[in-house]
Amino acid sequence: MPMFQPCRKDGGDGDGRILDVESAVKDGVLGGGAVAVYGGEKLDLKKMIEELNLCEVPSVFICPISLEPMQDPVTLCTGQTYERPDILKWFSMGHYTCPTTMQELWDDTLTPNTTLHHLTHTWFSHKYVQMKKRSEDAEGRASELLANLKRVKGQARVQTLKELQRVVSNHSTARKTVVDEGGVALVSSLLGPFTSYTIGSEVVAILVNLSLTSEAKMSLMQPAKVSSVVDVLNEGSIETKINCVRLIEILMEENDFRPELVSSHSLLVALMRLVRSKRHPGGHLPALALLKSISTLKEARSLIVSIGAIPHLLELIPVLNPECVELALSMLDILSSVPQGKQALKDCSNTIPTMVKLLMRITECCTDYALSILCSVCNLSAQECSLRAVDAGLAAKLLLVIQSGCSPALKQRAAELLKLCSLNYSDTIFISKCRLTRTIQ
Amino acid sequence: MVFVLCTLIDSMGSLCSRHRRSPADPEENEQTAEIERRIEQETKAEKHIQKLLLLGAGDSGKSTIFKQIKLLFQSGFDEAELKGYTPVIHANVYHTIKILYEGSKELSQSSEDSLKFIVSDENKEIGEKFSEIGGRLNYPRLTKEIAHEIGTLWRDSAIQETYVRGNELQLPDCAHFFMESLQRLSDVEYVPTKEDVLHARVRTTGVVEIQFSPVGENKKSGEVYRLFDVGGQKNERRKWIHLFEGVSAVIFCAAISEYDQTLFEDDNKNRMMETKELFEWILKQPCFEKTSFLLFLNKFDLFEKKVLKVPLNVCGWFKDYQPVSTGKQEIEHAYEFVKKKFEELYFQSTSPDRVDRVFKIYRTTALDQKLVKKTFKLVDETLRRRNLFEAGLL
Repeated sequence: MPMFQPCRKDGGDGDGRILDVESAVKDGVLGGGAVAVYGGEKLDLKKMIEELNLCEVPSVFICPISLEPMQDPVTLCTGQTYERPDILKWFSMGHYTCPTTMQELWDDTLTPNTTLHHLTHTWFSHKYVQMKKRSEDAEGRASELLANLKRVKGQARVQTLKELQRVVSNHSTARKTVVDEGGVALVSSLLGPFTSYTIGSEVVAILVNLSLTSEAKMSLMQPAKVSSVVDVLNEGSIETKINCVRLIEILMEENDFRPELVSSHSLLVALMRLVRSKRHPGGHLPALALLKSISTLKEARSLIVSIGAIPHLLELIPVLNPECVELALSMLDILSSVPQGKQALKDCSNTIPTMVKLLMRITECCTDYALSILCSVCNLSAQECSLRAVDAGLAAKLLLVIQSGCSPALKQRAAELLKLCSLNYSDTIFISKCRLTRTIQ
Repeated sequence: MVFVLCTLIDSMGSLCSRHRRSPADPEENEQTAEIERRIEQETKAEKHIQKLLLLGAGDSGKSTIFKQIKLLFQSGFDEAELKGYTPVIHANVYHTIKILYEGSKELSQSSEDSLKFIVSDENKEIGEKFSEIGGRLNYPRLTKEIAHEIGTLWRDSAIQETYVRGNELQLPDCAHFFMESLQRLSDVEYVPTKEDVLHARVRTTGVVEIQFSPVGENKKSGEVYRLFDVGGQKNERRKWIHLFEGVSAVIFCAAISEYDQTLFEDDNKNRMMETKELFEWILKQPCFEKTSFLLFLNKFDLFEKKVLKVPLNVCGWFKDYQPVSTGKQEIEHAYEFVKKKFEELYFQSTSPDRVDRVFKIYRTTALDQKLVKKTFKLVDETLRRRNLFEAGLL
């Protein structure tokens, strides 16, 4: 029978896999009522199933083959019901058995199971009407809250914002209402130099859920507002911090984004702190992603280097997960393009060993970045750095790259770096350095 | 043997303890017990009191903030206290007119367009008189006649021109405010208003403290703070170090309008540069390792007016400033620039192990009570959250 584990998405009332007979009778699902309509139209089953996207559907409605709710149930001579296209596919593969009972079929007739279809339709309609009503309730509630927000102050304002945030994060229709009724401007106007943390954190939590227009983003880009978001980022709980990071990222997507808004010590130090946080690993990825976006802005690069980002990142790379490592490497690569960055990389004693270890370790992208960083550092002071690199096992790794299925451009660069390194040694010695010191996992 | 040992220890005990509990003196014992109880209670209470330190260069607005807190969270000033400020305000008036007159004389000799600084003949006499009075230790009461004379001199065009160059003199910020209120100030029944008291300028010497509790909106008893105000001039700073232990937060006041002014105690030193160095020094103090730093960028009202007329880059620290527009936008831009400079300074002066200190910047105008109240609410919130965080509850 169905193998999937149901998820508790729709505020489940008991075990959703079982068709609760009592409530089914009460709600008219088991007949007795007319076909459910919504907005004066007969509801299309396929549309309802898609829109509702429920995890917990009674198992009697689920096709054993596709594990999806059946829209056109047909019954075999064994009495088992399947979705028509799926059982036809089964037959077309040459099987003439009933998939669940394994019996051989004596009759290949497919009888439409009208009763089940009717039941399915009614059940889904009922759920659909419920959902629509809740949505409308949410929309209405959102409207009310916005109206309240214009009037109240102090604690009442905080409560209104908290409720608005709950409504908006739970109901997509409410989000649209808020945007349509000028909620974005109203909520954004609460950000400023005198925004308390309580208000600021709710405002950010609301804004990240809404789709912001260009205009809205522009109005949020005032230095005083961005400052208050950074303050909330510094003081907040981990969820709030992540919300702030997301909001800033959303703002950065705008074309007219001014780099000086994010070239702020406070912001960069706060992000770095998030990346290094042992208590909250959930913050690593968003913070790194934002830091990387910021490092693509020329103006911010030397600032990022000056807060000591490079040694911190190098220290963290061995313990980050692969996605984060790629971001970190890409950042280091970008930072190596400015003189301070190159110098900081060279000054850090674990740059070379870490980069050498990362070659051919994670993804091709990572190898690409690691190689690029090694090239930058070795070009800065060829003699010293290439010696250290070769001692760390670079030569063997470069050979691996060259022999691998990586892109030609990458192989070319590896070859060039290999040549650069080999200049310091005689042939025999260099060849001995090319032996792998450890098995590559 | 054991018996002897016990007796020995017993008598040693009574020799060592500070309170001889001899059963023959119950009243004394009662008193001592009471005192001990009180000491214990107070030590416990002390632990919950958060120490706030108002620091900053001279004239940065520390005492004004101090007065505001008194007005907002304590009983304010009663009539006697208000009246107590009358001599201070009168002294400010005499002091101001003396500085302006002597300033005009100096500028009429050193400045290129010296003619505009020459006071008219009738007023010259008045000027000389007040120059002399202003130099005394005790000032005469400010009568209507004297106020009238001062007013006449104030309105002299030369004096007005001198006022425009006020940044080159040690003119107190309250100059304009008091000069425009002379009639009121010289009234026989004059009792200073709250605003007058906030404007009154007296150089703090030594340390002043108040204890207060900003009562929350739901009237729950909030944190108890003890605020210390100190003298900002260089010679006062050696007294600060005695206050540095056990401080929850330092409120550092920096008057951002003084980027074109020099120190009272040293006419060659730019005030903003002095503030910069002072801030740096304080940040590096070992006892402030875990202390929260709240930076009040003060005198924004004066900054707003000045920044459109006097470019920021007259101050060495701001020499890389580029104006971008005009009006309100330019003011905001200039303010953000100054804020960034302070931020940069903070992070440069903070070693990596201290980077987790709370550091927040507030824009303030210490004379505006509403603003100070709003600002202090934010300060209170930040400090409370910090306490919860340190207690592991956040």
